[in-house]
Order: sequence, then C-alpha cells, then structure tokens
Amino acid sequence: MGIHSVGTSDVDVVRRVLGGDTAAYATLVARYRDRLARYAVHMLGNREDAEEALQDAFVRAYRSLERCDDPARFGAWLYGILVNRCRTTGARAARRGRVFVRDEAALNGVAHASVAEQTEGEDVVRWALARLTPEYREAFLLKHVEDLEYEEMARVTGAGVSALKMRVKRAREQLQMILREAERV
Amino acid sequence: MFEPDEELVGRVVRQLRRPVTVDANLDARVMEQIARLPARPAGGTTRATWHWLTRPRTVRLSPLSALAIAAVFVAVVLSRPDRLSHPASTGAREFSFVVVAPRAATVSLVGDFNDWDAARTPMQRAGKQASVWTAVLPLTPGRYRYAFLVDGVSWLADPAAPAARDDEFGTPSSVVTVGGS
Repeated sequence: MGIHSVGTSDVDVVRRVLGGDTAAYATLVARYRDRLARYAVHMLGNREDAEEALQDAFVRAYRSLERCDDPARFGAWLYGILVNRCRTTGARAARRGRVFVRDEAALNGVAHASVAEQTEGEDVVRWALARLTPEYREAFLLKHVEDLEYEEMARVTGAGVSALKMRVKRAREQLQMILREAERV
Repeated sequence: MFEPDEELVGRVVRQLRRPVTVDANLDARVMEQIARLPARPAGGTTRATWHWLTRPRTVRLSPLSALAIAAVFVAVVLSRPDRLSHPASTGAREFSFVVVAPRAATVSLVGDFNDWDAARTPMQRAGKQASVWTAVLPLTPGRYRYAFLVDGVSWLADPAAPAARDDEFGTPSSVVTVGGS
C-alpha cells in the first residue's frame, strides 16, 4: 500500500507553503497527524513522549521543507523524520528509566507486577510490544500496522531490506512467544 | 495475512491498527511553534527546485560497478590563466576541472575551496550524452585538496593530479597548487 495522500495533493500544499503560505501547512498536519500519532504512541509506549516526538517531527519537517526532494512523497519523507524523532525520544526515555530504576531486582518485580495486572487485550498487547527491542518494534509497526512495503521501510529507516525482513520475522516470533507466556500466567 | 498459527499476531495487529487519539491541541501547538519561526524567505520554490537539481543522488553501487567507473576514470585539471573571473587584484584564476565518468548520474567537485560541500559545485556534462563532466572554478593562489563525488557515494581522487597525503577524512583526494601571478 505504501504512503499515499488524499484530497488536495501534497505537492500543491507543499508548493503553497514554500511560496510563503505558512497556514497551508495545517492541512498537512491534519492529514498525517492521526496515522503518525498511532505509530509514535505504539513505538514509544507513552502518549506524552509520542506527542512530543510528533510535534517535533512536524516542526522539523516544516523547517526543512526545501529538502523534501519529492513533494509527492511528503508522507514518506515525514515518516522518516518521525522515525528518527522516536528513536531519539525512545533512547532518552530509556536513559531516564535507567536513572530512576537502578535496582535490577526491583525492576524485575515491577515487570512481573505489570504482567499480573495487565490481563486484558490492549494492555497486554502494549506490554508485549514494549518487550521487543526498539529495532524489532519499529520494523513490526511499520510493516504490519502502518502497512509499508519493505522498500519504503528501507527508505524511512535507513536499514536494508533483508535486515528489515529479518527484524519483522523475529519480532513476530518474539511477540507470539511473549503472548503465549502471558496467556499461561 | 497470517497463517493460522500466527493468529495471535494477527489479533495484535488488529488491535494496534485501531485509531489513537492525541491531544486535540497538537495541531495548534505545531502551528504556533511554526509561527514563531523566522519567515520563510521568498523564492522558496526556486530554492527547492535548485536543491532538487543539485542534490547528490544516492545510488548504491556494487563493488564491480564502482570498479568499472574507476577504470574509465581519467581526469585532468587545466589551468586557464587567460580567463580571469575577478579583477587582477584578487589574484584568482579560473580552473577547469574535467573528469570522465560515463555511468555517473551526478558528479560534484568537492574540496577545500567549497568546504567539501557536494551541493556547491555540481559538475556539468559536456554534452547531452557525454561522458565528460566539467566544472570551472576561480581559485586564488594556494594549495587545495579536492576530489570528485560520483552519484553522491563514490569519492574519487583525480588520477591526473598528485594525491593528497594529509587527508583527515580517510577518503581519496588530490592536490592542486595555484601559484601567484
């Protein structure tokens, strides 16, 4: 499926923005907000971090709009920026987590408590997704949730197609294993 | 999409595809932040077009292809003291950099004189289908290291010029020394 735009074409809107019509950028924000938000929320597992990454991605995209070489593919270009912002935000959040939870035993205790509490649908899914490494989670979300082709994913992530296929396969295997374990708890 | 034994993953995907809501003010926050940025300079479309035309294209080359390009690579630097681009007081002379790269989609001249910026000195084909690429550059007296960037990925030294021995970037480069007049 890839990334497509609807209504007034992205090309037209990008042209207007580059021509000085700043307000036209709101069209692009509204067009891509929900889909990008879904990726950011699932990738970061935290709504506040996701909104920060999303806002940052939109602003960075605006500032660098001249560097969007193919405005017809603005959506894919924007995805690439968001993927990078999520990587940065995720790494910062991970460092933050390590600062506050230094005791490994305490960390494990918290994790097990979460499993016991999260017995229903979405919580379990979010918990399972968070257990994947960021690379596996990123590849799984882009492929199966955002429905990108591998070539598109390669452009967005900078990783090779074969590496991405491997990550998606491993992510699926690990998710199955994690969820089967959770069902047995 | 999934095999029966992957139904579990299928359920995960269906859940994750549900819409996610974010702060309703996010759009407004983005637009407010953008409004505080310096105004976009006029001629943005022209600059975007120029950027598109001059950006280095990234084309992945197999080692064999890179070798093939390198094999046919012949370059010469021609001093053209007869063509002064600036008043004599600056001491600048125009130099024509010429390279043969038949398979290249883009070639940029990069060096000390343009801060190794691939966008600043794109080379032009000598003809529509020509293998020869040229760039003319005014240089003031001094010693300059330079190289050719083919298709945005392959750094090539000029085989017709002395190799630079003090390159800190680990990529091949050549040296041209411009004497005073």
